Amino acid sequence: MRKPLFHIAAVIGLIATALSIPVAAQGEPVRVAEFLAECPISHRLADDPIVLPNLAGASHFHDFFGNHSTNARSTQQSLEGETGNCNPASDISSYWVPTLYRNNTAIAPTGVTFYYLGEGVNNPAAIQPTPYGLKIVAGNAKATGDADSIARWSCLHAGHVNPSKNFVTCPAGTMLETYLDFPQCWDGRNLDSADHKSHMSYPVAGGCPSSHPVSVPKLRMVLRYPVNGSTAGLRLASGTGQTMHGDFFNVWPRAEMERRVRNCLNVVIKCDHNGNHG
Amino acid sequence: MLLLAGLLVACQQAPPPSSPAPSPQNGYGATERAFVELAIATDEQALKLLDLTDSAELKENRNIELAELRKLLDAPYVNNHAGHDMPGMPTDAEIQLASTNPDALKQFVRTHLTESLEVLKSAGPAITHPPTAEVVELMRRHRTAELAAG
Repeated sequence: MRKPLFHIAAVIGLIATALSIPVAAQGEPVRVAEFLAECPISHRLADDPIVLPNLAGASHFHDFFGNHSTNARSTQQSLEGETGNCNPASDISSYWVPTLYRNNTAIAPTGVTFYYLGEGVNNPAAIQPTPYGLKIVAGNAKATGDADSIARWSCLHAGHVNPSKNFVTCPAGTMLETYLDFPQCWDGRNLDSADHKSHMSYPVAGGCPSSHPVSVPKLRMVLRYPVNGSTAGLRLASGTGQTMHGDFFNVWPRAEMERRVRNCLNVVIKCDHNGNHG
Repeated sequence: MLLLAGLLVACQQAPPPSSPAPSPQNGYGATERAFVELAIATDEQALKLLDLTDSAELKENRNIELAELRKLLDAPYVNNHAGHDMPGMPTDAEIQLASTNPDALKQFVRTHLTESLEVLKSAGPAITHPPTAEVVELMRRHRTAELAAG
């Protein structure tokens, strides 16, 4: 009876190797620099505390994740001390994206994961904690086509459907998903900027450029929507799928962020929701 | 060496990071700038809808507002809201529908007025820069009168 089991294990190992999936021997941590927070939708408002500060009801609709209190008037001081809906509960950061609609019916994502990664830079040991109060905007809400968009839409459980910068038709039984990578190089001085972008940059050739020398965790947002079939009638509050954008207002408690950067990213280890590993 | 690099980065980080300089009391700050850019985008898009109507007053009021709003800009204007489904801002699809459907035109003009009035009511207490507040008041007065005129 043991021999077939051994064969199965060996075959799984071979498949995993072929697919480049890290296979940890028991007790050994996976060598991927990662920690994460999963934060379902908290609320929906026509507010944007970064782009339209203090102007309640003046924005296109956003789905807010994490901190329950986020609105047009949110500041670092107003967010701290509030609670959110993330796992881990210690992450009371605020995250938001334009609302997705099929015709005029809003559709909330049912899977919302924020990965904090050590990839994209050659020296993960130099990654610093994301500064407290940092605001980051990723994606281009003004995109007019593929050329000026970094959006990525694909299908969960249907890898054969090619990813696209606009919505894709997902087979029955699968889900529409979107990925968004935030810039991970900080200018070391400003928590925001007039255009909300120029204080951050993407890495160049595996390193942060001299204009933005501080390497911080790479935030990757992964949203899964209960949507498949035709893309007819699908739109974001900001327009086509290419206009997908995300906003992040960091209010992770400093010690929680620092511990995860040190124990997960700097040493290239995959951590769980609590920032721990095997 | 890594430790040294880390210390250097730490040194570079001082003084502690800050948000963009808070606007001076009653100055033209982030909220004013965001409002002016939004109001220009909204009025410009609304004009495309109002061009379908025979109301000279509506068009004239929007053009007066645009001239006043542009005087407030402190940097080249960038439309951050094109193509977005913003309150008070008719979408291209709505304008297209309105071009062939008089009932839709009437409804979308009214929605433009009621929704942008809501935005102005929200902006009122948030805007402390007197010249910008004057334009907010002008726009609020325009819309109130336009809605009353039916």
